[in-house]
Amino acid sequence: MANAKVFAYEYDQHDFDNGLRLITVPVPYPEVVSLYIVVHAGSRNEVEEGRSGFAHFFEHMMFRGTPDYPPERYEAVLQETGASSNAYTDDDRTVYHTTLTREDFERMLAMEADRFQHLEYKLEDFQTEALAVYGEYNKDSAEPVNKLFEVLRDTAFDAHTYKHTTMGFLRDIEKMPQMYDYSRLFFDRFYRPEYTTLVVVGDVRPDEVREMVQRHWGGWRRGTYKVEVPREPAQKGGREAHIPWKTHTLPYLLIAQKAPAYCDNQVDCAALDLISFLGFSESSPLYERLVIEEQSVDLLWASNADHIDPYLFTVMARVKEDDQVGRIKEQILSTFETFAAQPIDPGKLESVKSHLRYRFALGLNNSEAIASTLAYYVSLRRTPETINKLYTLYEQVTAEDLVRVARWCFAEQGRTVVTLSNGGAQ
Amino acid sequence: MKVIALRDSSPLVSMRLVFKTGAAQDPLRQAGAAWMTASMLAGGGSRTRSYKEIIDAFFPMGVSVGSQVDKEMICFAAEAHIDHLERFYVIFRDMLLDPGWRADDFERLRDDTVNYLEVELRGQNDEELAKEVLYQRVFAGHPYERHNAGTVASLRELKIVDLREFYLAQFAQENLTIALAGGYPEGFNERARRDFTALPLKARSQNGLDGTVPEIRPNELFMIEKPARGVAISLGFPIEVKRGHADYPALLLATSALGQHRMSSGRLFTRMRQLRGLNYGDYSYIEHFPGGMYTLEPSPNLARSHQIFQLWIRPVEREQAHFALRLALHELERLVRDGLSQEEFERTRSFLSKYVNLLLKTKEAELGYAIDSEFYGIGAFPKYLRDGLKQLTLESVNDAIRSHLRWDQIAIVMAGEGMGELRDRILANEISPMTYNSPKPDEILEEDRIVERRPLAISAHCTTILPVEEIFS
Repeated sequence: MANAKVFAYEYDQHDFDNGLRLITVPVPYPEVVSLYIVVHAGSRNEVEEGRSGFAHFFEHMMFRGTPDYPPERYEAVLQETGASSNAYTDDDRTVYHTTLTREDFERMLAMEADRFQHLEYKLEDFQTEALAVYGEYNKDSAEPVNKLFEVLRDTAFDAHTYKHTTMGFLRDIEKMPQMYDYSRLFFDRFYRPEYTTLVVVGDVRPDEVREMVQRHWGGWRRGTYKVEVPREPAQKGGREAHIPWKTHTLPYLLIAQKAPAYCDNQVDCAALDLISFLGFSESSPLYERLVIEEQSVDLLWASNADHIDPYLFTVMARVKEDDQVGRIKEQILSTFETFAAQPIDPGKLESVKSHLRYRFALGLNNSEAIASTLAYYVSLRRTPETINKLYTLYEQVTAEDLVRVARWCFAEQGRTVVTLSNGGAQ
Repeated sequence: MKVIALRDSSPLVSMRLVFKTGAAQDPLRQAGAAWMTASMLAGGGSRTRSYKEIIDAFFPMGVSVGSQVDKEMICFAAEAHIDHLERFYVIFRDMLLDPGWRADDFERLRDDTVNYLEVELRGQNDEELAKEVLYQRVFAGHPYERHNAGTVASLRELKIVDLREFYLAQFAQENLTIALAGGYPEGFNERARRDFTALPLKARSQNGLDGTVPEIRPNELFMIEKPARGVAISLGFPIEVKRGHADYPALLLATSALGQHRMSSGRLFTRMRQLRGLNYGDYSYIEHFPGGMYTLEPSPNLARSHQIFQLWIRPVEREQAHFALRLALHELERLVRDGLSQEEFERTRSFLSKYVNLLLKTKEAELGYAIDSEFYGIGAFPKYLRDGLKQLTLESVNDAIRSHLRWDQIAIVMAGEGMGELRDRILANEISPMTYNSPKPDEILEEDRIVERRPLAISAHCTTILPVEEIFS
């Protein structure tokens, strides 16, 4: 599969008059259909002060019913159809997904169209749901990595909405029950066809799916709101934060560098993806030294997480001894410097490119997995073709590109370091 | 040895090798032996290749080998692209047949396991902690009692020679099922079977499982004191129903109606979260389902001879923990006393009949379910379940509920802060009034007045509070 398109399925991409986009992918897995509804709005869209966490909260409200489908009826249909259904929100997207048997697909499509157009809920239900979100924050709060990212974003960003996590600041979550009117405004702004893409993957015919979508979603009216997300000013120096942690933990170290936005037509972002594997994955020299040989670290990973706007290249290590945190930090920084100093061995570069290609292929082993992967990329560029463009870029990245990108991305002025521990590690 | 082969034209090849042995076979004073043995095979080197060499070989293929250890099954799973099948298979086979048993791998993997217990379970995942401790309480005195990973002390005592001994004794042909799917070349399954005849024919010893059935015990309250924003709650009791039991389809249906995993349809979810906003979700189970916070579908190859009925109440605010516990028991009692309605019965039966297709959506899952069906002595799971569901009536489901479920004689585990005070309130059966941030329908307020006074008969001597540091120690 070395030269083939990595996303090789034929697909039908169609734009309706109201701005809604439909992407249909027929696949040879019988009887099952996956529907992923991608709303191109996530916590990035929470531009007003005090509204952090709202996109996620709103995802909860989408399960609170319409005049035709009150929650009990909505649930009853999900049950009768044996559907597996859920939703998630992150920085750049909110995704509602359902996987079910083909015979019930149109019924589901119609029910989803109804809630996207006619959602209606009472103040009491809104206030009760705010408590469930608070419960979600509480359930997640035992996990140090959640706190690390909450503090990392707050420290690294000044103006952009990536300053807060998708869950939002606790102070905003606590005030959610008083934001009923804002919730209606949020729905009116973003739950619109021009902000939405339907991804349908399974045992379907594209022409039939188009007709069904036209029938049920064709009357949905376009909105007018255009979000203006504040631009993040250039960071002018290294930043640090420390989190003291109450329950027993090993110390964590998080080093983040300001990084470019997701891009499928310039190699910089792709080059950073490759560096994240070359420098910090389990096949990297640093992993070999710290995790396998010294055994001073038990978790090490890096991520250049795709985002619509410039975000962060992040390296995380969990260190076994408090007094080793400083030394491990130096080792990670020195790995950054190595990338900036000299070109990598071409054989290693080829190995990572192969890893990414095959890992992607191995992940596409059922309709739901394909739809879920598409939903992720579609929320960045609204077309599956972005996947093939990205993987073509991976092939084009040279050892010299890595040096160039590492020189500007790993500079100290764009760095934020966050530590978390019980003891004195700072 | 059994071989399950589902050959087709897919370029992806799935392999699942499952040994019918596990943590229930850990020798006395060697808790964690099965876990550590599997870790050494999947996460250490083979005799001819170091762990680093294996990682480097697998990396360009995009593959990794996963292991899963439960009481009675150890599973090794991997998926490779047909482009690499030969190179991958040779390494994978050697990992399982010719392990390296290196001291540095052992030290690293033992550290990982201790950190899993001490840092992750005790420190970072109160929900899984409460569930694991619930299993320990229900199976007290039974070979299932200890955590699959053992205890911190037992892990520190383990030696490589113990693992080699466990491997030689348990990793035998008679325990092994090789399951393959995808576009592998003709004869590949036969070759795999032949290769694994290098294992001993018979297992050398079968400790532990002597047919002991866990007992129903009086109500018990086990509390874990630790700093936390909320209180995680799990409760349950042993049941004799497992796949193959005449009442399995009926009880699965009842449990789905009460609290289908991670779905918003169940009674518990509706009454506790949707109507009252008590927490993030509430579910019920008749089969072991670890890691439920990370996955929507259960992993296969966790088949067990003994199962429990379980309620999972996601973290609630400390002030509402007493009420939440009472409400969960109230719902359970309502289910046992009144049964399901005809409409709930029909709807849930329709759900399960279709949903079962989605559980087997990957070849990997299909292989896993086939191995489990073999364990339980039933046919293909989707057909077994659909046929079973078809024969049910509302009466037969409600009969099964009454025969197997109860709202008394339950083990309750709570993890959070301020457990002493909460215990005192529970023992004294103090009223636990609910307040809301919005108006509620009369029906809810009236029910609350009953629930907030609901007595829970627990004697002080069946109550324990342990600091979290002592769990799994």
